[in-house]
Amino acid sequence: MKIGDRLLSLLLYGVGVVFVAAAVHFISILLMPELAPRDAYARLSALAKPGQMVLLPRALPGREITPFEDPALAQAVCLYDLSNGPLHVHADLEDPGLLTLSFRTRNGSVFYSMTDQAALHGTIEVTIMTQPQLDALEESDEDEDEPLQELRLVAPDIKGFVLVNALAAFPSERADAEARATSVSCSTETIARD
Amino acid sequence: MLGLFKFLTVVLLGTALGLAATYEVLQRGVAFGAVQAGPWKGLPKSGSLDVDPYTRAKLARSAELPLGSAEGLTFVASRDSSGAVFEPRCDYDVRGSVPSTRYWTLTLTTPKGALIDNLDKRYGFTSAEILRAADGTFDITVARRARPGNWLPLGAPRPFVLMLRLYDTLLDFGTAKADASAMPQIVKGACE
Repeated sequence: MKIGDRLLSLLLYGVGVVFVAAAVHFISILLMPELAPRDAYARLSALAKPGQMVLLPRALPGREITPFEDPALAQAVCLYDLSNGPLHVHADLEDPGLLTLSFRTRNGSVFYSMTDQAALHGTIEVTIMTQPQLDALEESDEDEDEPLQELRLVAPDIKGFVLVNALAAFPSERADAEARATSVSCSTETIARD
Repeated sequence: MLGLFKFLTVVLLGTALGLAATYEVLQRGVAFGAVQAGPWKGLPKSGSLDVDPYTRAKLARSAELPLGSAEGLTFVASRDSSGAVFEPRCDYDVRGSVPSTRYWTLTLTTPKGALIDNLDKRYGFTSAEILRAADGTFDITVARRARPGNWLPLGAPRPFVLMLRLYDTLLDFGTAKADASAMPQIVKGACE
């Protein structure tokens, strides 16, 4: 074999290696959210059951649940599993402190977020559902003229969670912030089947 | 036989290189769409479904829960305003003002996001509790030894980053360019 041929075949193998490496790299990046073993939902499942609002332990050194937590926040979480029906989130806002809600998929990606400033008449009413559940609900809506009293969100995934943040502006306000975070309630709605 | 051997070598070598690249990228935290404002780096899209695959993979692996876009914006600083990486044995002054926002918090963490223990049990400040000058600007000192005014204790000397969170902010990177002068400056002080 001539030296030129050997170099050419080596080059071809090199191109093959780079091609395989690039494919493996992109696939592993895209699959990471599905494959990460300790994703946010898995971590939170240890603390909460679906359909319940649970106050998360305060962020303290060595006791964080997730990295980069804000120690000034009181946080509550409600896991959902829409295979059991839509999730209804309700809050009556009584004190003017900061309250924010984020609606997340199981790996923590946010598909909707809001603050207490978006409340209507001092209440927050949100229902999270799948597209088929929304279709069924819209079909059963009897009076179409009546304005909707709630925000309806279609979740990208069956499972996910709602994270509630309440800010304790001063350390002495922690109890108030915790009360504010847990004043948001969530419940699984049963759909009437007929 | 030799052909099969060469084929397997290519596949194995390629797989190893690809996984090594993924690991390296996730460790370093390559981020597209990052916004730099002075020493502060923000990832405005991390709080939406519009996030790039690299950021999404990194967030899934660390289980970090970034603020939703409507909740607020998060900025991280690992360097001072002159561009030098934070030195654990030095003091830093965070001074100036913050873009228009309902509340903000400044938190000290390790580069991996763990809170840093200290005797005063202070891990950060909120905008409500800091002392301000007459013109509304503030000066927070990150230092190992106690300081008058707003003192953020550093605890034991170790690498750290500063997190600035703007809650319910009017700042939107969709329409406005990040302006370094609107963000607090970070100035190095005395070193031990």
